[in-house]
Amino acid sequence: MMPETTDVETINRRRMNLALGIVVLIASIPILVTYFILMASSFANQMITGSMVGQLTFTLKNWILFFEGKLTVASAAVYSTWDILRYIFNTFIVAFGVMLVTTALATMAGYACSRMKFKGRKFLIQLLILLHAFPGVSLIIAVYALYIFSKGPIPSQWWTLYAFIYVIVARAALEIPMDIWIMKGFFDKVPWEVEWSALIDGASRIKVWKDIILPLVKPGIAAVAIFSFIAGWGALIYVLVFLPPTEKTLATYIAGLLAGGSLEVVHLPVVAAAGTLYLLPTLIFFSFVRRYMLQTSLSGIKG
Amino acid sequence: MKIRKTSLLFFLGPALFVVALFYIIPLFLSVYISFTPMVDWNVNRYLTQFIGLQNYERLFHIVMYDPDMRAVVITTVVFVLVTLVINVFGGLLLALATYFMDEKMSAAYQGLWLLPRMTPIAVYSLLWYYFFHSSGIGILNSILLKLHLIDHPIALGLDPKYLPWGAWFIIIFVNGLVGVSYGMIIFYSAFKSIPKELIIAARVDGASTTRIIRHILLPLTKWHFTFVMVWQMFSLLMTYAQTFLLVEWRVVDSTWGQTWALYVFRTAFTTTKDQGLAAAASTFLSIIGIVLGIIALKALGYEKMILEPKGDI
Repeated sequence: MMPETTDVETINRRRMNLALGIVVLIASIPILVTYFILMASSFANQMITGSMVGQLTFTLKNWILFFEGKLTVASAAVYSTWDILRYIFNTFIVAFGVMLVTTALATMAGYACSRMKFKGRKFLIQLLILLHAFPGVSLIIAVYALYIFSKGPIPSQWWTLYAFIYVIVARAALEIPMDIWIMKGFFDKVPWEVEWSALIDGASRIKVWKDIILPLVKPGIAAVAIFSFIAGWGALIYVLVFLPPTEKTLATYIAGLLAGGSLEVVHLPVVAAAGTLYLLPTLIFFSFVRRYMLQTSLSGIKG
Repeated sequence: MKIRKTSLLFFLGPALFVVALFYIIPLFLSVYISFTPMVDWNVNRYLTQFIGLQNYERLFHIVMYDPDMRAVVITTVVFVLVTLVINVFGGLLLALATYFMDEKMSAAYQGLWLLPRMTPIAVYSLLWYYFFHSSGIGILNSILLKLHLIDHPIALGLDPKYLPWGAWFIIIFVNGLVGVSYGMIIFYSAFKSIPKELIIAARVDGASTTRIIRHILLPLTKWHFTFVMVWQMFSLLMTYAQTFLLVEWRVVDSTWGQTWALYVFRTAFTTTKDQGLAAAASTFLSIIGIVLGIIALKALGYEKMILEPKGDI
């Protein structure tokens, strides 16, 4: 018999842990199974579920096919390796751009919302919550109309560049209201005394913010930066709508492969390889910020 | 004073510019587009034509007489209500379970359940494309086949035999798995902010876990419950990205797997490219969004929680 462990709370901790652990594990099966099958299938000769276990073999072929731009083993390359690399690069550019714009704007505006008195401050802060909840789908029609309008005067050789800038700022705009809230929460925790002593010494507000306050909210900046990078990295709808069809990201590349639900044109494990590659950066970055999730959501609602 | 204005402009200006350009102006422009006959994104040709309420009349007409549009309305109501219940109560259960676990296990499980929310939409949809695939490689089909519950692979989201339930099941399941983590996070952090002494005192007095939940944890987090409820209702009404790919990839039927928000997006961008009609349909989402939002802000007393920056010089 194992000795029963009890703590101050006079309850059998170990038994409760075990019971809860098993219950939640069972509830988590759909998540565990689907993610596992995606990643494992990218290294198998066929989709894991489609065969007897004995027929499965380990292979890197799917990854090679993916980078060669082939969609099935037998077919010729539909894309060049160069295309695939460009799609990965495009995904990165969008993610990085969204991260830069969001982090910069949220850090500045979050400071103002936390530390400065101005007319309509309360209104603005409440508006931000409303905007965060606001239906993106009722805006995107008009945002696209604005895009067509504003594209007009620009020479057509610049259109691709303009599309990238537009998609980055438009996608960042969706993140900004919430991230201002998160940053405001981090600024709220910095003691006023720090700022006062510097301001009384005659430093300007912007200088105090840059040199003294920002280093104190580094965790907040890191959290917002990583969250917005993940958001930009995963962006689908905005990329699909604004970027020209030749400028794919991994999202629109995968979306295009399966369009119409046709199985014949593409070997599914190759798509699994593309999906796994697309998922990896998210997994890595997410493991960094997971612990901030609680902190940010708390400061997010509690103001 | 002038310096203050400049620094305020420096801090707030860029964010306000983006908010104006991507929220405020589009909001009004979208309502305006709903009064024009715009199709195929022919902005130059149609944006100056004003046709009054014609798009709204058309929308009303198809809602009344087009069975496909009826399906959209019914699907939206079912989807929002069922997923809302799953998200709120599922989130609550997960939060309770992880609250009573030891820290390490709780962190691992929370990370796992947050994963769907963080995963790129294309990958997340891809997981469910494999899961619900109508051939034998579909995970669901292969499980059901092995259990001999079916003798040939089924297309749960497409086969008229299973509609509308099959399609509803899929979109609710797929969105629910993303949605529960929101409630989990909010409830969990609310439980964590309750003083530990309260729980320990109750334990010492011999209270069972069920009684602690019922008499301490739940009553003290009523506000959060309302918050999650309102917030999730919002997001469910407005969400469409996950379902978009499931429809595009023919995992679910395009009629019974389509909510109002997705209908707006597809009408504007993929199917009929009828932006006038789509804008009219989106106006209803905007109105619901604004009204519910203002009620929520007032009812939840957000204003009182915003502290004055007392030390601003």
